[in-house]
Amino acid sequence: MSKPKVAFFDFASCEGCQLQIANLEEEILDLIQLVDVVSFREVMKEHAETYDIAFIEGSVMRPMDEERIKEIRKHAKILVALGACATIGGVNKIRNQWDVENVKKDVYGDAKIKGNKYFDVFPTKSVDEVVKVDFYIHGCPINRDEFKKVVVSLIMGKTPEIPTYPVCVECKKNENVCLFEQGKFCLGPITRAGCNAICPTNGSPCDGCRGILDKPQVECVQEVLDRYNLTYEDMKNRCIIYNYTKEEC
Amino acid sequence: MKSISEEDLNCFIDALIQDETYEVHGVQSKGKRFVFAPLETAEHLRLEYDVTILPPKKYFLPQYENLMDFNLSQDFSVSPQKVDKPLILIGVHPYDIIALQQTDKVYLDDQKDDFYQKRRKNTLIIGVDIQNVSEHSFAGSLGTHYVDSGFDLMLTNIGKKYVITIGSKKGEKLVQRYAKVKDATDAEVKEIEKIRINTLNKFKKKVQVTDAAGWSSLLVSNYENSIWEEQSSKCMECSSCTMVCPTCFCYDVKDDVSLNMRDGSRIRTWDGCLLKDFTKVGSGEVFREDLKDRFRHRFFRKGNYLTERYGFIACVGCGRCSIACLPNIASPCDIINELSKSGGKGKRDTFFIKQKNKTDEKGIIHVPRRAIIKKIQKLTEWETLFTLEFEDKKPLGHKPGQFVELSIFGVGEAPFGISSPPSDDPQFDVVVRKVGNLTSKLFTLKKEDSVGIRGPLGNGFDMKEFKGKHIIFVSGGTGMIPMRSLIEYCLDKKNRDKFKYIKILYGAKRPCDVLFQDKIATWEKCDSVTCKLTVDTCQDGECWVGSVGLVTALFPKLEVDRIDPKNTKAVVIGPPVMFKFVIKCLQTIGIDDKDIYVSLERRMKCGVGKCGHCQINGVYCCKEGPVFNYAEIKNLPEAFE
Repeated sequence: MSKPKVAFFDFASCEGCQLQIANLEEEILDLIQLVDVVSFREVMKEHAETYDIAFIEGSVMRPMDEERIKEIRKHAKILVALGACATIGGVNKIRNQWDVENVKKDVYGDAKIKGNKYFDVFPTKSVDEVVKVDFYIHGCPINRDEFKKVVVSLIMGKTPEIPTYPVCVECKKNENVCLFEQGKFCLGPITRAGCNAICPTNGSPCDGCRGILDKPQVECVQEVLDRYNLTYEDMKNRCIIYNYTKEEC
Repeated sequence: MKSISEEDLNCFIDALIQDETYEVHGVQSKGKRFVFAPLETAEHLRLEYDVTILPPKKYFLPQYENLMDFNLSQDFSVSPQKVDKPLILIGVHPYDIIALQQTDKVYLDDQKDDFYQKRRKNTLIIGVDIQNVSEHSFAGSLGTHYVDSGFDLMLTNIGKKYVITIGSKKGEKLVQRYAKVKDATDAEVKEIEKIRINTLNKFKKKVQVTDAAGWSSLLVSNYENSIWEEQSSKCMECSSCTMVCPTCFCYDVKDDVSLNMRDGSRIRTWDGCLLKDFTKVGSGEVFREDLKDRFRHRFFRKGNYLTERYGFIACVGCGRCSIACLPNIASPCDIINELSKSGGKGKRDTFFIKQKNKTDEKGIIHVPRRAIIKKIQKLTEWETLFTLEFEDKKPLGHKPGQFVELSIFGVGEAPFGISSPPSDDPQFDVVVRKVGNLTSKLFTLKKEDSVGIRGPLGNGFDMKEFKGKHIIFVSGGTGMIPMRSLIEYCLDKKNRDKFKYIKILYGAKRPCDVLFQDKIATWEKCDSVTCKLTVDTCQDGECWVGSVGLVTALFPKLEVDRIDPKNTKAVVIGPPVMFKFVIKCLQTIGIDDKDIYVSLERRMKCGVGKCGHCQINGVYCCKEGPVFNYAEIKNLPEAFE
């Protein structure tokens, strides 16, 4: 069996997720035994237009991005969204709470950007708001172990298993003192697990970078806030970092 | 009994730490809470703690436990987990010791778990009587605030001294070797009792019902109580309550493969019945989807299902769940007290069935035996038959209705009904429908490739009960897979005269989905056998001589006059929706419920009554089932609803 051709693409992002892959270090040798990396701007000069698996990092912000991602989708047999910007829009969506024109004015002031396609932005979209995404590797940044698992699964012809349960499960297994008990609002109870609760384990509340569970149970929110002396603002501020939606969270 | 000064106790513990033959773990602080962790010096020990975040179960059923390693570069290479260094665990509270004794019942009494057993044997427990009580704990009212056995040593703080109660030879040896002790005086021994009474008075939280029978009957009387709906509406489904519970022991098993595609391991990890995919099977069906049902299930496990099975309340009152639960709805104490106020609202009898046939797994639990694919035969668009044979050519030795756990290293494991009849032949058949990762992978394997097999597992059909009877077999869809085993057993020349008239009713979706067409053709030709087939739909141009319609529509065609309903047994195997209707038909023709047998599908992950996934109320489908007598389970909640 010939090795699948793999290409990495970046959209609006910090490229930190690709850096996570570059940081596999010696394991990258195992990776290139498994797949033929044909495009990976962060680590190589070469680029090819034919590939089987496309990993997409970043959000879609402009018409030109939209065209490009649609083109990639046409070429790729499998398209994987890599990291929060791609999977859920992530921090790029924070700006969706304001009007695009006001944002431009705030950021670029009087600079002449009108008509320049690079500045022609619309409200941020996650990749699956534009094209079909086959698999998701959540997180900001992605978890290298999960990336490896997904790659191994794809090579073995398995559907990668992404947890459907919340971060609390992993956090409890790690025997952390609950962040709520420390007076911090944490999104762990409604955020998709798979990160091994890395933030709570290191003392920071979960920011929800892996996205909110499909059907989060949030009826008790007010009670929980009251029990731990937290405010609605605490919660809202935590929610908009990665999971801004118009409807509020 | 011995007594030891605080100072000498520290020296004793430091001496244990110095002894390199042991790992020493003890209670230490973590922020404002406490945990069991590797102990560097006796100074870090916090014997006055109230409760740890996680119970000591993490040492016996670790959060992530490598059950076995496999090597994918070889055809079938597996090596089970090795034994760790002996462990000394210091500072275990009585309720946690009781929780371990309960877990022993589940993990060691029937079908012992080799991994758990190794860790239990390998660990010395130095308990400590409770000095400070957690505000959520109600152990006092359950009587789990002290314990007389289950430890190697028990420490009781009496002022500046500790009394050491020796619980085992191993514990005694440790004391002899390392501790500077005196024989405890009568006054010191009496002090223990005082301390325990003093502790008892410190519990602010009390449960009103304190005996196992009381919990069990109270819950049963309130199965349909609105409290489950009300409370679960606040539940976040995070399953933190089960993670931190010392008596929750459900688990999942997953395969991990490293990026080199060669080394992998099968990992056992904690699972929780509150999580929505807990009961999900390969085909995507979820058997306890409603949050209310999952929420109730947890409490019923604590106070009814395990209680009826083993006689204890599977809650030791540690209060960890209440600490962990953000909306504070997890405490069994609160629920029991609330229910005891209201009396009974919505009684439903729940029960468990005593396992009839012990089908213990041979060898080390969870470690499969190598079997070789001898034949692959495509039966339909979706189903393929795999004929397997153990490498040692030993026959499987199964009964009709039993199942095996089939695994492919790196992909996972799933249960499959055995389709071939019992036989001395080393070969046996499983029929597989392509639905998920494991089955998709299996479809890529070739003749002479290896798979892992555990089994035969579960309760099969007791053929003695069918002797001298007419039999009606009703199958729907893939229900025919295990049914074939039973039919062929009955039609076998050696056995045929044991049974009277045989009627086979079988419904499939479409003509092309009918399984075992060649077999059915031979069955039809046998004496005193009637086969009636039906399909849900038949497209124009499709060749089909059977009926069109649901399997229940075949009943009018059954020549009932040729069988005596009082002397007839019926077997029903099919999709969940089928049972109710078919059983109604059987009842209409006069078959008694006790003469009806069913085989149920659930998520049988471990296959040996441990992991909890296949539980139907208090019944383990993998052990007490999958074959059940209908009369025994017709009123079992969750079985047919």
